[in-house]
Amino acid sequence: MNHWHFILGAYGVTVLLLIVEVVALRARRRNAVAAAQASIENLPTP
Amino acid sequence: MKPRHRRIAWILAGIAVLGVAVALVLNAFQSNLVFFFSPTDVAENKAPQGRTFRIGGLVEEKSVRRDGIVVHFKVTDTAKTIPVTYQGILPDLFKEGKGVVAQGKLQPDGTFVASEVLAKHDENYMPPEAAAAVNKAHIDAAEKNAAKTLAH
Amino acid sequence: MALNWTRYASPASFHPLAGKLIPWFGWGAAVLAAIGLWLGFAVAPTDFQQGEVYRIIFIHVPSAWMSMFLYVVMAFWGALLLAFNTRLSGMMAQAIAPTGALMTFLALWTGALWGRPTWGTYWAWDARMTSELILLFLYLGIIALRQAIGEARRADRACAVLSLVGVVNIPIIYYSVQWWNTLHQGASVKPTGSSMEATMLWGMLVMSFAFWFYAIAVVLSRVRSIMLERERSAAWVAALPEVGSAR
Repeated sequence: MNHWHFILGAYGVTVLLLIVEVVALRARRRNAVAAAQASIENLPTP
Repeated sequence: MKPRHRRIAWILAGIAVLGVAVALVLNAFQSNLVFFFSPTDVAENKAPQGRTFRIGGLVEEKSVRRDGIVVHFKVTDTAKTIPVTYQGILPDLFKEGKGVVAQGKLQPDGTFVASEVLAKHDENYMPPEAAAAVNKAHIDAAEKNAAKTLAH
Repeated sequence: MALNWTRYASPASFHPLAGKLIPWFGWGAAVLAAIGLWLGFAVAPTDFQQGEVYRIIFIHVPSAWMSMFLYVVMAFWGALLLAFNTRLSGMMAQAIAPTGALMTFLALWTGALWGRPTWGTYWAWDARMTSELILLFLYLGIIALRQAIGEARRADRACAVLSLVGVVNIPIIYYSVQWWNTLHQGASVKPTGSSMEATMLWGMLVMSFAFWFYAIAVVLSRVRSIMLERERSAAWVAALPEVGSAR
């Protein structure tokens, strides 16, 4: 009674989604920094 | 998409999601809070009459009988017992003395004809050797009790 | 108070603090997960009735616990927002929701793949599973509500109210297996003790800490992005080394 394909399905999807979340967050961070830089460049120089 | 259209789309998505959530809550409160009825509930006529419902309990020891493709067994909550017939594949964890939930209809003669049988396992996790030791301890205790009763 | 904790409630000082904490929690999660998986697959024995498939417990229970815990934390930040109207509260609540939804989905997914070989079904409408599914819809509803409102401060308040209303679902999930007849078994770990063999229990607890650390790292990372998105033209953002260095 070994159901390794169920175990693989559970762990595989978990690891995949956690990686997707981390990659998405890194992209979001890059975009946020870029947007912040762009908005500074539009500021009037003091 | 314009921002206004996007916002409307999100509002619609939100309403849909919340609608599903509310529907689930209402549905749960209406019928599914009680996932199954015990044999005692059935004996006390608490189970719905004339439509499908689920019964749950333990598979009575030595009650499983295979008759071709039909399986007969009894579901017990130690107070009351219901005979069940079922035609189909049983889950791996279906075993005498273990938990079971069966969906089906109660016949006038008191047998329950199941269309689906699920195994309900308990929350104990241990290696087979430990399970055997626990089992042996139970049997030893029972024997000791029996010996005590006989000695009196 | 010697240490002025409210100082860290402002994005300007929380942003660098979160940045310092993220690697610790991120690597901590990786190390804990490695130990937990080693315990779960190399040390913990085969189960007497389920065989190997019970090993799904090492991700199922942690993700289910986190799904409920994160919701309570999100609602707590919502309550802080409504009470004190601090900027950080709304940002934290916003940062938690997607990870909470992910944990809820993982609890349902791993539960389905565990239910099929043991119970004989992927899904049943019992009280435990239905209430966990409602939790997923609560998370998705809160995310959708924020997107629908758009304007951050108004969205913060609306999401806080909705998440506080949804808190009633948490005890329902937790106690469902006691209050009603369910297909799902009762809790293996209770305040009074556990009904699991020691190495199995340790594997599960270490994995729970791994998930916890992961969630902290991910939420802190997301809240940092949210801070930049919301306050991109603030002076403290311009003063950040990673932002200012572009000049």
